Amino acid sequence: MSELKWGDRELAYDSSAFVRGSGHYVDDIKLPGMIHMSVLRSPYARARILSLKGGMSSKDLGARMASVGEGASPEAGLSIEPVFATGFVNYVGEPVAAVFADDRYKSTDLLESIEVDYEPLEPVVTIDDALKLGPIHSGRKDNIMVETSKGTDFQDPESPIVIEDTLENDRISANPIEPRGIVTSYTDGMLNVWISTQAVHSVKEGLVESLGISPESVRVMQTDTGGGFGSKGGLYPEYVMASYASMKFGKPVKWIETRREHLASTNPGRGVRGKVKIFAERNGRINGLKGEVTIDAGAYDSGIASFSPGFVAMQMTGPYSIEKAFVVARALFTNKVPQGPYRGAGRPEASFFIERMMDMLADELAMDPADLRLLNMSDKPFVSPMGLKIDAARPFFEGAVRELEYRRESKMSRGVGLSFFVLVPAVYPGESARIIVKDGKVSVWLGGNSHGQGHEIFVKKLINEELQVPEELVTLYRGDTGMTKTGVGTWGSRSAIVAGAAIVAVCKKIKQEVEKEFGSYSVRSLLSSGYDEFINNELKMPLNSFGANLATVEIEKMGRVRVKKCAAYYDVGRALNRDMVIGQIQGGMAQGIGQTLHEGLFYNKEGQLITSSISDAGVPLAEDLPNFIVNIVENRSFLPHGAKGLGEAPTVGVPTALTRAIESVSGKRLRRTPVTPEELMK
Amino acid sequence: MSTIKIRTKVNGKDVEAEVEPRTLLVHFLREELNLTGTHVGCDTSNCGACTVLIDGQAVKSCTVLAAQANGKEITTIEGLSRNGELHPLQKAFLEKHGLQCGYCTSGMILTSFWLLKKNKDPSEEEIRKNLSGNLCRCTGYQSIVESVKYAAQLMNEKEVEREMAVR
Amino acid sequence: MHPSSFEYFAPTKMEEALELLSKYGEDAKIMSGGQSLIPLLKLRIASFPYVIDISGVQGLNRITENKEFLEIGALTTISSIADSELIKKRYQILHEAAGQIADPLIRNRGTIGGNISHGDPSNDIPAVAIALKANLEVIGKEGKRIVEAHSFVTDSFTNVLKVGEILNKIRIPVAPDNSGGCYIKQKKSAGDFSVAAIAVQLSLHDNDSVKSAGIGLTSVAPKPTRAMKAERFLEGKKINDSVVREAAKIVVSESDPSTDFYGSSEFKRKVLGKIAEEAINLSFERATVR
Repeated sequence: MSELKWGDRELAYDSSAFVRGSGHYVDDIKLPGMIHMSVLRSPYARARILSLKGGMSSKDLGARMASVGEGASPEAGLSIEPVFATGFVNYVGEPVAAVFADDRYKSTDLLESIEVDYEPLEPVVTIDDALKLGPIHSGRKDNIMVETSKGTDFQDPESPIVIEDTLENDRISANPIEPRGIVTSYTDGMLNVWISTQAVHSVKEGLVESLGISPESVRVMQTDTGGGFGSKGGLYPEYVMASYASMKFGKPVKWIETRREHLASTNPGRGVRGKVKIFAERNGRINGLKGEVTIDAGAYDSGIASFSPGFVAMQMTGPYSIEKAFVVARALFTNKVPQGPYRGAGRPEASFFIERMMDMLADELAMDPADLRLLNMSDKPFVSPMGLKIDAARPFFEGAVRELEYRRESKMSRGVGLSFFVLVPAVYPGESARIIVKDGKVSVWLGGNSHGQGHEIFVKKLINEELQVPEELVTLYRGDTGMTKTGVGTWGSRSAIVAGAAIVAVCKKIKQEVEKEFGSYSVRSLLSSGYDEFINNELKMPLNSFGANLATVEIEKMGRVRVKKCAAYYDVGRALNRDMVIGQIQGGMAQGIGQTLHEGLFYNKEGQLITSSISDAGVPLAEDLPNFIVNIVENRSFLPHGAKGLGEAPTVGVPTALTRAIESVSGKRLRRTPVTPEELMK
Repeated sequence: MSTIKIRTKVNGKDVEAEVEPRTLLVHFLREELNLTGTHVGCDTSNCGACTVLIDGQAVKSCTVLAAQANGKEITTIEGLSRNGELHPLQKAFLEKHGLQCGYCTSGMILTSFWLLKKNKDPSEEEIRKNLSGNLCRCTGYQSIVESVKYAAQLMNEKEVEREMAVR
Repeated sequence: MHPSSFEYFAPTKMEEALELLSKYGEDAKIMSGGQSLIPLLKLRIASFPYVIDISGVQGLNRITENKEFLEIGALTTISSIADSELIKKRYQILHEAAGQIADPLIRNRGTIGGNISHGDPSNDIPAVAIALKANLEVIGKEGKRIVEAHSFVTDSFTNVLKVGEILNKIRIPVAPDNSGGCYIKQKKSAGDFSVAAIAVQLSLHDNDSVKSAGIGLTSVAPKPTRAMKAERFLEGKKINDSVVREAAKIVVSESDPSTDFYGSSEFKRKVLGKIAEEAINLSFERATVR
């Protein structure tokens, strides 16, 4: 472990450390002889590199990125990002070279010593550019990275009502308050990596593949992780560089992202356009839906970019029983940073498309939007033509309308927005867990890693339920590939489901072992002996759940929106800890408001990123937000511990409800997020 | 490379050091004094993860040179608890879940500390306004506001107790 | 991010500061609170071989009022201005502006002198100084001189200071009775710079006609702007809806906003027109409260 002197207590998740200022984040690590890495990045959206002098570059390390983590795709291959730009740069912020020095001031100084000559080329900046202009990658005939479809094409029905529109969510930077960062140390043939991450196993797999080294020679350990929201789920070029550099120099290497690097070079989410056509009867019953989804995937295939089109398309009928549906979906190359997952990752986009269309249809028919939605729901489970499996929707949403006091609210004010959705958590392929019982204490590791969700709280609770071990004897340690053979990651509203199920499963295994040894189980027997059990608990079936949001707003002078009420009604399954559930939902609702009113990444025609600070990027302040009203419904899932997903529910439900509320007050048809004051003032 | 000598008091302890003029206070605290509870979250003086007190005033230590701390008293998150006992703000943030990932927490607590010194019983609006230099991406701020309110209550109760004891 | 190297001086007397300034000339940069300068140094948008930190210079952080002027030392922090009872009571426009600058933590270090000298067209104090017809006292080795607030900032991030000079004091003529003003700042969200902002100060004759008007604009031109035509238009007139509308139109005609991240120039003009009306009305209302 090469000289990092963190003891057991320091390696455990412990939120009480944070209020004392004694957390263990990656930038807190100091190792003897450690050097700091800085990265020179492309100032152009698209250019040919004519010459490059100085620093470590593709001449030293010609590796390419591996597709790992959330939405990883084995097909991603042809246009996968090089670790260092090779011959060309394809987005502002693309790594070109790296330099190393004793401290971060000196490594920043060294950036100025690198000489690069570029020949700027015409960039492909927008979705429209990508369709119109030639391919950004030579050897391709166009900018289409992936094209797929969901459902079966059908002849347009002769419906009296046909409405069609184009809707869009701008790109958003995840902006966890802790930027990304890594420390690598190579000693005695072993590469030790400490990293701020949602998934140590993704990072490990990525390094193994990109560097072509053996899995046995890499150990990836998670540090306290200051938020991720999707952006810290996979591999990034800097991780490969820092690992390679520590192997080459024989010294520990640290790289800490700056906020500007985060905005320019960390995979942002959203950036999706949907063209939707709905066929309906005059009574509001929808006969069919056709759509086109286009993803602004950025310059390289990061993996999720090729997964997203089908994933968005699949969800586009929402919780409604629409019998005919067909959606064509594609991801396009543009000269921007590769797109990645951001809290929701395809779910909010699909919901924005269908929910906006429901509101438009309600307006067209002069129907109440809630009535229209309920009319298009079933009392029975339903499988959409695109394969989305849902439970009986209508009873749940009738409850939502009641509990959110929608009827009363819509009588009282004009500006009410309501949204219904089905949350599709990333259950596949399950998760791993390991429990060691030793010296009367229970130590636990999970394959997927907490980065603020408080996994330790449900882990302690479930172990107490399964094995009756007092919670104070249970410790959950941060992610460590040295302690779990395999594992997945924390994203996609999955942890309470899959990590919870893995904990229950490994507890059952341990219980059997105790019974074998002692004849029957008791907590005393358990703690008196020693056990070490690991399980890779596969879960592959969908576990979808319903949610609804209500928002009311006021438009203050000059198009500034004030959110008056922002309420949620979510089925979270069994709430393993109510406070944690509510905390997750409140935080997600803030991000939903952020997406709707403030957040975006703005590029000019040259593909330069205009957004230059976390404030420009629109991360909301305390002053921008209301108090939230959170109603949770606990319909247990079929899993033994009863959990369902919830982390992304608010980023799915809030933007749609809020956009509708603003639309109702302003009388202006709204088709994209963020909704700007300028748009409302027109 | 020239260095300059600074003398400061950090969390009650006298500190003398040679620093490069360009060294930011936050890096001095973190790298030289190993006070890693003060964090860096942005480059542009927006996020407030680096908040410390200089002579009792909450400031962003990423936008202060270490050299400017010469002759001043600095308080970081590590200096808030007394003899191992958590400050009421620290207790309140834990109890009311005013944190998730923990990265903004030191800054939130120190800004709130400064606020509660000026205003013993701030309204929700005053709390939100005074936290406008501190970003949190996890909580949606509601639990942070509740934590600050609860801390104010704990501190006021403590003061009443103290007054009673004096009498 | 991390600044390039520089040498650092922290004089405690103005004479020392001026000595250093004249010694290093254009290679030297004055720093007070550092809240604008340090971010630029960190991003390496700017670098200077010598940084002269004047924050320790004695006697420059006071707020005093005599018969003629409210005097504010250049090193007075924005939060001291926002918290000053004197300013709150008698110079509401300045109180309002100070309380809206950046955030509380930045206000705790940022100074009025820095806010003006930096020359950022989005900084708020210059417009207020213009509206209040402030005199800016500049000090150099050869002595002091007075610069009128509206001619201090000459272009984006450029001011009238010659090599070797420092902004010393802000002198605001004492507000007569029958006067009132306000600062209205329109932001996209709480943490942003303004889309547009306006400072208006009116003083009235006994018959409520405008005796003098001061109007300063923020974020709507490459530099803080005095809406001089609108000021002249208002002077001598009684305030009514049509006068206010016309004045606001003139204000807009004196602006030159660019399209950027905060909105199109058209949008900014629209916002400016609305807040101009609002600000003139509110200032009048305040001036007539006796």
